[in-house]
Amino acid sequence: MNVLEVKNVVKKFGNYAASNNVSFEVEGGQIFGLLGPNGAGKTTLIRMINNILMPDEGEIHIFGEKLYPEQQNRFGYLPEERGLYKKLKVIEQIVYFARLKGLTKHDAIDRAHHWLKKLGANGWENKKIQELSKGMQQKIQFITTVLHSPELIILDEPFSGFDPINTELIKSILLELRSQGKTIILSTHVMSQVEELCDNICMINKGKVVLQGKVSEIKSSYGRNHLIVEFSGDGGFIEKLKNVEILNRTNSRVEMKLLDSNINTNEIIKIITDSVQITRFDLSLPTMHEIFIDTVAKQRESNEQ
Amino acid sequence: MSNKITTIISHEYITKVKSKGFIIGTLLGPIFLLLLIVIPGLVAYLSRDATSKKIAIVDKTEYGIGSKIVALDTAKYYISNETPEILRQKVLSGESDGFIVIDENVVRNGEAFVYTSGGGGIGFITSLENNIGNIVKVKQLKDAGATDSILKLMDKPFKIKTYRLTEKGEQKDFTEIYAALGYFLGFVIYFLMFMYGSFVSRGVIEEKANRIVEVIASSAKPFEIMMGKVIGIGLVGLTQIAVWIAIAFVGVVLAGTFFSGSISPEQIAQMQQQPFANTGGMMHIAGMEIPTISPWLIIGFIYYFLAGYFIFATLFAAVGSAVDQEQDAAQLQTPITLPIIIPILLIFNVISDPDGTLAIVLSLIPFFTPILMTVRIAATQVPLWQIITSVVLTIATFYGCLIVASRIYRVGILMYGKKPTFKDLLKWFKNAK
Repeated sequence: MNVLEVKNVVKKFGNYAASNNVSFEVEGGQIFGLLGPNGAGKTTLIRMINNILMPDEGEIHIFGEKLYPEQQNRFGYLPEERGLYKKLKVIEQIVYFARLKGLTKHDAIDRAHHWLKKLGANGWENKKIQELSKGMQQKIQFITTVLHSPELIILDEPFSGFDPINTELIKSILLELRSQGKTIILSTHVMSQVEELCDNICMINKGKVVLQGKVSEIKSSYGRNHLIVEFSGDGGFIEKLKNVEILNRTNSRVEMKLLDSNINTNEIIKIITDSVQITRFDLSLPTMHEIFIDTVAKQRESNEQ
Repeated sequence: MSNKITTIISHEYITKVKSKGFIIGTLLGPIFLLLLIVIPGLVAYLSRDATSKKIAIVDKTEYGIGSKIVALDTAKYYISNETPEILRQKVLSGESDGFIVIDENVVRNGEAFVYTSGGGGIGFITSLENNIGNIVKVKQLKDAGATDSILKLMDKPFKIKTYRLTEKGEQKDFTEIYAALGYFLGFVIYFLMFMYGSFVSRGVIEEKANRIVEVIASSAKPFEIMMGKVIGIGLVGLTQIAVWIAIAFVGVVLAGTFFSGSISPEQIAQMQQQPFANTGGMMHIAGMEIPTISPWLIIGFIYYFLAGYFIFATLFAAVGSAVDQEQDAAQLQTPITLPIIIPILLIFNVISDPDGTLAIVLSLIPFFTPILMTVRIAATQVPLWQIITSVVLTIATFYGCLIVASRIYRVGILMYGKKPTFKDLLKWFKNAK
């Protein structure tokens, strides 16, 4: 079942269309990546899904119904810019946001203790927010997002400000939430996290959907066209290769994209072994990082033409 | 009311009431206010005759006017036999503050001559005029053949005693005290509207600057967020007023006990049972007459505070939502603060003739009503139709402000970057449906 359906949504600010006929669907129980370069219109879209902004045209359906305000209690939203009351105590802050989501004070306190412990923050209850470091505040913000066990969790750059250890901790919690059947929409610029966590993605640029589908399918649709060669010797052979686009080049390593999918890799090996010795030859699927850059670049070209 | 708005109201109320600022402000506020009112009066009173100047008197008459003046205030005046030239030198060198020359013609002309190094203030001149004038006047009257009994009559001051006619009969009137009370209450409302209005705008700006509002907006409607804050902080204001009224009441009772020296427990019990009874009359504390405060005045005061607060607080919230930081708010706040300040400038006109057409018209302008109508209900008997009209107009104005403010607020809280102009606010208002 689809937890979220965005149907032909248009949102304009003056003459600028932050969302220009956007449509996508998110299946329940998965982690969905919402990607796009800065200023692509992700935040506007996320705000509309959260019922903070209204679309000018089109509809958003959540849990099978057209979005209405009372559904907000079933969402958890972590905005890109974090917001906590500096002067409140941790427990007061958590309880206030939880009560706004419809929890009783008693329930909220119980769950707060549980989550603080889970994130290694037990004993912080009576500290003031302003006494906490940025990473610690980040944890509190994360707790306020998930405390009321929302069915749909929307996270905008959830890992920013976390060290690698805490990043792993949050990742494991996201996977745990998914295994409990929660749906997570993850917006991030870190493509390695997308590969690790997301089942499906939707990529937006300039208010339009430019790419969407299963991560594995998107990657294989690009084919095994990503070639890494490491060698010792003179790199002059690289100029002799045809139908390739050099992505990255150093003295002993070259990363390239094969432009012709029918290319015979043996031919390439022959050219290389004529002049240098190969230490690594790796033909693989493109990374999401490349796909991201490639997609944005393609759209820019098509706009310029 | 929805659950969300009550949650927001209680959050706003509790965090504010628990804060040190509120507790200190509530307890020290009355003391501060009292000082604010008492000190200027005290200073004026003390400085009335408190010229620290020492004045030499050169008396050229034979009737001893000079020594009579010295007898009035030996600390200030002294008889000098030095010549005017020497005294002039002394004044110029700073040795003496000045000198008065009383010549033979003083009684005939009613004139004396004062030489100082300059100024001295109105208090100084007035005291000289009174001191010398009285003595000269007595001499003039005596010369004209006035007897001692006539002179005594001159000394007796004339007084007007006013009575207020009510259905219960004649009562002693306290027009001046009630006018002063109106002046005082008008100022309190002015002060409270400003203070609580800026609490609202500061709160809104804090939530926007710290990006809290986006989190809350994902849980509640912008209208609920704004009204929750406005109502919560308004309740804080009511709490403060309630505490102040309680303090004032206890203060009056204690003062009564203090002044009377002895007061029977029965009397205290009686007073406590009917503190504000006997509408429009007076309260007797151990024989002292104190003008009583009608419960209607208290109700009116609370209503007009709330009306003013709600009208201006919603507008303050709208301005707060439009800016990213407090410093940017000042310019946009001017059109809101002006209608709060203007009635303060008009307060004297209203007090001097609280039943006049000007006072009636001004007090019915909804933005001025909170301050000026409070002044009037304290100072005079305002006809019921005017009260009802003011209530209807303030409620209608609040409703209008609420619509404008909530539309601006809804757009403003999500707008960052450029400092908005009034044109932008108008655009937001039009675009928000």
